[in-house]
Amino acid sequence: MNPEHARPWSQAGAPTHPCVVDTTHVTGQMFGFTNIPMAVWIDEDGNLVRPAEGASIERSPLRDMDIPDGLPERLDAMYRAVKAIPDDAEAYRAAIIDWVRKGPASEFALTPDEVVERSQPRSADEAKAAACFELGEHLRRSVGHDAAVSWWREAHRLHPLNLTYKRQAWTLVTTAADATENDLMQGPNDVYESNLLDDVLGAGGFGAFIVRPQL
Amino acid sequence: MILTELAVGRDDFSRSTGWEPKPEGLCRGEVCVPAPGALDGDVVDVRAAADRLGMPLVHDAEHGVWALGPATLGGHALATAVAADPELTNYDGSTFRLSSLRGRKVVLVAWSSY
Repeated sequence: MNPEHARPWSQAGAPTHPCVVDTTHVTGQMFGFTNIPMAVWIDEDGNLVRPAEGASIERSPLRDMDIPDGLPERLDAMYRAVKAIPDDAEAYRAAIIDWVRKGPASEFALTPDEVVERSQPRSADEAKAAACFELGEHLRRSVGHDAAVSWWREAHRLHPLNLTYKRQAWTLVTTAADATENDLMQGPNDVYESNLLDDVLGAGGFGAFIVRPQL
Repeated sequence: MILTELAVGRDDFSRSTGWEPKPEGLCRGEVCVPAPGALDGDVVDVRAAADRLGMPLVHDAEHGVWALGPATLGGHALATAVAADPELTNYDGSTFRLSSLRGRKVVLVAWSSY
């Protein structure tokens, strides 16, 4: 919601591809993103050939790090949870390359029916969560942050495995007002009953929030 | 879609939801859902459209706004493989649409700095 926090990250590599901002999470509603990184593939004719799925393309060095002794308990737990994140990066990157080279002949390019069938489930509660989140975001902009909170709490309750709704809400209360980067730990706070580490541990790990690509 | 009243222009409805109101119904890609009463000239009855598409409608009475959520047809996030074309924003403030990349393969990656 603050594009300026993301700008240095998005521009660091001097990208030659479009790098745009979705301040209202409309791509979540339209494509089914529930976490990041996630991606969809779209062919030359504007048709999806893969629905929203986890989209790591490079193994994170965090997964191979040695966790130092003596860290604060919550930081230690967070590092361990990050190290345990499922890794599909190599296979997913190879799949993208295969599709780029072969187009519709790629085994990884799905039929329209497969794309729809494999897209994220969307229950009535989860659709309502999207509406609640959007309403909260609108009120945050037009009225103020406090007006958004009750709607975001409801979005979290209705769609507990949507980590984008949670992390977006948490970061606005755990990131200091004068910070130039968002708080990544998103720990216990006075506004929401939930926080990143406890929700992750309660769900059995980050894997509960990841849509692994079916390759 | 944020609303201050439950009747909107068909173009606004289409642009915000990805569903295009037509005489035969509410359409997205190859999918058309009959929606009698949802379209009157160029005006969409949002409640009628929401009912036909399984879209939730939530209301903040204090601030006088509604939010219309995504469709739940078929129980999936996608009702069609025709890609939606949401309006996004470049860092220079200009508008960006995925359809501007038509003719090229696109991998649309969602990420965040948090």
